[in-house]
Amino acid sequence: MKKVLSLVLALLMVLSCASFASAEGEKGVINLYAFTDEVPKMLQHYIDTHPEFGYTLNTTIIATTDGLYQPALDQALTAGGADAPDIYCAEAAFILKYAQGDMASYAAAYDDLGIDTAAAIEAADIAQYTVDIGTRPADGKVVGLGYQATGGAFIYRRSIAMDVWGTDDPKEIAAKIGPGWDKFFEAAEELKAKGYGIVSGDGDIWHPIENSSEKGWIVDGELYIDPAREAFLDLSKKLKDNGYHNDTQDWTDAWYADMAGIGEKQIFGFYGPAWLINYTIGQNCGDTAGDWAICEPNIGFFWGGTWLLANKDTEKKEAVAELINWVTLDCTENGLQYGWANGNIYGDGGTKDCVGSGTVMAMSDGKLDFLGGQNMFDVFVPANQYANGKNLTQYDETINGIWRDAVRQYTAGTMTREEAIEFFKTDVEDKLGIEAAE
Amino acid sequence: MSKKRNKVKLEGTGFLGMFIKYAVCIILAILCIMPFYIMIVNATRDTYSIQQSAISLIPSNALMQNYAVFGEKAFDPLVGFKNSMIISTCSTALTVYFSTLTAYALVAYNWKLRNALFGFILGVMMIPGQVVSIGFYQFMYKLGMTNNLLALILPAIAAPGTVFFMRQYMLPSLSMDIVASARIDGAGEFRTFNTIVLPIMKPAMATQAIFAFVTSWNRLLEPMILLTRKENYTMPIMVSLLKGDIYKTEYGTVYLALTMSVIPLLAIYFMLSKYIIAGVALGGVKE
Amino acid sequence: MRNSLKRKSVSYAKYGYLFSLPFVLAYAIFMLYPTIYTLIIGFTDLKGVATNTWQFLDEPFKNFQKILTNKTFIGSIKTTCIIWIMNFIPQMLLALLLTAWFTRRKVTIKGQGAFKVIFYLPNIITAATVGILFSTFFGYPISPANAVLKMFGKESFYFLNDAWASRIIVAFIQFWQWFGYTAIVLISGVLGINPTLFESAEIDGATPSQVFWRVTLPCMRTILIYSLITSLIGGLNMFDIPKVFNNGAPANATMTSSLFIYTQAFTGTYQYNRAAAASMVMFLLIAVLSVFVFFLMRDQYDAKEKRQIRRMKRQARKGMTV
Repeated sequence: MKKVLSLVLALLMVLSCASFASAEGEKGVINLYAFTDEVPKMLQHYIDTHPEFGYTLNTTIIATTDGLYQPALDQALTAGGADAPDIYCAEAAFILKYAQGDMASYAAAYDDLGIDTAAAIEAADIAQYTVDIGTRPADGKVVGLGYQATGGAFIYRRSIAMDVWGTDDPKEIAAKIGPGWDKFFEAAEELKAKGYGIVSGDGDIWHPIENSSEKGWIVDGELYIDPAREAFLDLSKKLKDNGYHNDTQDWTDAWYADMAGIGEKQIFGFYGPAWLINYTIGQNCGDTAGDWAICEPNIGFFWGGTWLLANKDTEKKEAVAELINWVTLDCTENGLQYGWANGNIYGDGGTKDCVGSGTVMAMSDGKLDFLGGQNMFDVFVPANQYANGKNLTQYDETINGIWRDAVRQYTAGTMTREEAIEFFKTDVEDKLGIEAAE
Repeated sequence: MSKKRNKVKLEGTGFLGMFIKYAVCIILAILCIMPFYIMIVNATRDTYSIQQSAISLIPSNALMQNYAVFGEKAFDPLVGFKNSMIISTCSTALTVYFSTLTAYALVAYNWKLRNALFGFILGVMMIPGQVVSIGFYQFMYKLGMTNNLLALILPAIAAPGTVFFMRQYMLPSLSMDIVASARIDGAGEFRTFNTIVLPIMKPAMATQAIFAFVTSWNRLLEPMILLTRKENYTMPIMVSLLKGDIYKTEYGTVYLALTMSVIPLLAIYFMLSKYIIAGVALGGVKE
Repeated sequence: MRNSLKRKSVSYAKYGYLFSLPFVLAYAIFMLYPTIYTLIIGFTDLKGVATNTWQFLDEPFKNFQKILTNKTFIGSIKTTCIIWIMNFIPQMLLALLLTAWFTRRKVTIKGQGAFKVIFYLPNIITAATVGILFSTFFGYPISPANAVLKMFGKESFYFLNDAWASRIIVAFIQFWQWFGYTAIVLISGVLGINPTLFESAEIDGATPSQVFWRVTLPCMRTILIYSLITSLIGGLNMFDIPKVFNNGAPANATMTSSLFIYTQAFTGTYQYNRAAAASMVMFLLIAVLSVFVFFLMRDQYDAKEKRQIRRMKRQARKGMTV
């Protein structure tokens, strides 16, 4: 027992060192909450390249995949104190909660940080929808802005297009798959005849459907199923019954496998914004790099995006403002967005992305080897007009999860269409306390 | 433990019976080891080939390639290991020692509130952990004990489930005559507990220690919400962060990280389990 | 045993208080306060993430009413029970079988130390890891499980979208993780039994199976109660595996009550009050069940155990003087 006790004492000593030791910058530490390493990396890059800045970063990254990010962030914000985040990130699926909804009161207006927000937005020509989403209705002030523009395109395999239609030209392919869903299914039939699937799974068509709908899930405090979203049931069923896809689920192994062309059958394309190319298809494409192209989708949509918010109680306003301004509003060649759009932020040859600032986009080049040299901005810039915050609600992450589950039950045949809708309504009411409109 | 009897006689059971027993045991053993083997093998394979076929029995050569990805991630096995070790070791020591002490108070002494306390322990053993967590976090935040490992260690003093087990084990195995004779020899109560009762309880303590350790080591939710500083992250938090890049999952690297988080556990487990089996074989009364 | 204690109770009572004090204090601070807080929330209007203030409801039991008519919650209790039973019965049978084999005194299984160590292995791994591992194994359309189906010429099967397949897999994971634990607990219980009991039984000419049924099993009463109750409680609080494996899907087929409570309280609209009420319902349910089991087992073995303890003590004394 003595041995055990001495071991415990030794460990307690180690522990006491561990809980008090923390490396601080000369001016202090900025707490950052994020759901990927993207923003932490870029802010760290700023700190590394600006020695006079003098702060260090204390980053907390919690993935959204297990639904853990929001609870942890909420806890940290409501608790306040020295460990509360100074800067925090929010994604399209829940930005409304932090910019306009339940948690909006914790955000600092950019103006209050000392940024001349209105002038900066105009100079940078920031995409209007990111401003709309990031504006707090209570006082009409901007509390969050992003750095990306996330209008979506249809991203397809050139070799398959050549095989089926004898062309891989984006304009002609756009005319084959759209506009509308009828043309899309005609194309699916032609692809099927040659043994291809048009998309990987129902998740692929969900994002265009979700973000092209007229209204969001909640209207006047009640659950509302937009006709466009309800149609997802039928479209999804049609895809499955006709074997037009590999029936994968997005963000799973099988979905990634289809990007590399190693799934059950070869898959023609995916719906997505520029970031899907950079971070998902590009990283998982295996041998198919260079075989891709993008075209106008059969239905306009946007998907995702990251917004940066500041804690109203931050004691490092100037430093926080400096970082946020650099990421979201600086439209010079030294700003983040220029480097981001041109893929040279961490040195040449990085991934390129559509950014929120129109000014930056005008001076950037979107040619990608991955797309066989196609300039992706040609398609993505017009696509950004479809991006708006009108159909977002603050509980989208949860409600979408339930809806997707219900639709899968219908397509798998374990529920009828009516049962699936009924299940969806009951589940939303039981889990969220939001009643269905009748 | 069976060393005393080297002669294995097949009394009462035929060869077939023994064959079935061994077959069942070996199948179960394979079932238990297989997923870990696959995990370790996958740690040496690159993400691309894992996507092509998730199962392979043959290790590949992408180990270093997978390891190199750590450089881009917030994964620091040494820091995570240190924090998890501190939390789990301290929690385990506290849980086992104080639970035995409490059980001793319940078994050896007759005091007014004894049955009340035991009833209370039985009752609270059943409270779902998730319920208490709402109040627990808010309390910890109020006390400013976030990012303090003690917030994850001190609650281990009160482990009703372990107390219950210790009491159930102590009832038949602790002879009050031994305690009484210690008293006659003039030993103090606390000394009696440490020198006489604890050795008798060794088998139960060893079993409970490993359970407590594993539970503590594997906890994810509480540390994740309480600990917001990287230098305080535990191993499971770090592992979960590897999955955190939603744009891409590096399966090879994830498997490698899982493996790295498990190998220390396995090492400790194999060391401790020998002690447990020996301790269990010793028994209480013959001590 | 208790009678012998009473003689000395007066002078030593204070040590009972003293030795249980650390437990009581730690419990009061780290569990009781948060627990009472949770209970109170069940009667309030506390919901929404940024809400710090709350008031008691005008109709105090409204949250409880709501939660008892909540189809998803009631369904989650059923699901929990189904998964627990599917996991517990085979787990207990296997653990008992292993206990019988491993504690047989004459016909020992070689290398049983190694077997025990291996059987406990799955329990050591973080539930999250195991959940991810298995959901990968049963992925659709590409996965090891579907590769096996293909070998037999079958269509690939969407395990994670099938209610019963998902439940069986979750139950299997629980079984797989816990049978070793249960077996070790039971074996350590048997090994804690005074060996002289077995020796005298053997001298009396009892066969190994007679020893197991007549001596071993009755002596394990306390350990069996413990295993049953902890498994029941653990089963009704089942959270990690269903959460990580499929987050309650498909269509709530693996939505256990704990996962439902978590979902209600910590995601979406943060309905702390209803989740707290649901927790209290679960608490009552679990309490009733375990009290029932406790008394059932006690009545059945009470008389036997008293005899047992007397005999054990006699023999223990003999053993000590030798």
